Amino acid sequence: APRNTLASTSGVVVAVHSEPPPPLPLQQRERAQPMSELPFDEEAKLVYGVILSLRNMIRKLSGRDEQFVNYRTSTYKLHLYETLSGYKFVMLSDHATDSLRFVLRQIYTGPFLEYVVRNPLAAMDSRERGIDNEYFRASTDRLVRGLSVFP
Amino acid sequence: MATSSKQYKAIGEDIWKGRTEKINAELFALTYGALVVQLIQDYEDYAEVNKQLEKMGYNIGTRLIEDFLARSNIGRCSDFRDVGEAVAKVGFKSFLNITPTVTHSQLPPTSPTAPSTQAGTSFVLTLDENPLAEFVELPEEALEGGLWFSNVLCGVLRGSLEMIQMQVQVDFLSDVLRGDESTQIQVKLVKYLEEEVPVGDD
Repeated sequence: APRNTLASTSGVVVAVHSEPPPPLPLQQRERAQPMSELPFDEEAKLVYGVILSLRNMIRKLSGRDEQFVNYRTSTYKLHLYETLSGYKFVMLSDHATDSLRFVLRQIYTGPFLEYVVRNPLAAMDSRERGIDNEYFRASTDRLVRGLSVFP
Repeated sequence: MATSSKQYKAIGEDIWKGRTEKINAELFALTYGALVVQLIQDYEDYAEVNKQLEKMGYNIGTRLIEDFLARSNIGRCSDFRDVGEAVAKVGFKSFLNITPTVTHSQLPPTSPTAPSTQAGTSFVLTLDENPLAEFVELPEEALEGGLWFSNVLCGVLRGSLEMIQMQVQVDFLSDVLRGDESTQIQVKLVKYLEEEVPVGDD
């Protein structure tokens, strides 16, 4: 299913771990019910808002170099990897999984660098549309599927 | 934890050596030269060519920084002086295999606060060699027209630093191609940038 484009007016990019929600969301928990009823880009905006608020709060409390790493609820865990350049990589998993930050970093140094950064025709700014292209998706998909934590 | 100059040097060398996709230097120099020539033909105005080169560099820089961050795994620089060291020893080394010398300077302190984070702080990069200008000799009219042949480098620095929240002004001070003693680029800090927050529409 085609992904909605992000309508955000932000100058900061949110690269969300992008897999088409149906039929196979990349969440390791059982698909009892969908994560939310919202369309993808609305969900992304909410996620972004949460992350930004948490991160700003943490920085105010502990200083600029403190990293917000993940949060956990009773049903899921949200992992964040943020680059110095402001790109945020988010992954959702079931709440028992250990930190997946290394995976997010692998996505950054692998598929993201290869198919987004190095593709001059791919916009790096999610002002108009989200960052999304064929190769990026396929490469990320392969990477994640190859992980041991993936069922 | 401040990273020392030596550590930066080592990191830069490691990345350069670890790069599997290197390009032939001549091909690179000739390609860049062809680009500049084309711009000169298209714009017929050297000031405009300078501007276009800088713009291109800017677009390159906004992406190059990701490659840099991904490979170098460097943390945030402690101050602008540190930035200068990282740019020269890791940045230039890992992409162009040259290490320009860095000269730091700052405004005469108007207040006792940390001088190296003040707007106006700058550093100057002195390039002993310039792979872009290997075979180049500028004709009379380019010299008179004020062409900065390697101006793309200024754009690259501006673009990449902007992506890590630093707004800088980068200009050539001198160029051996113009008959000057040395090739020097000045990077001046304008201000640190705050991350933009999206305008809420709900």
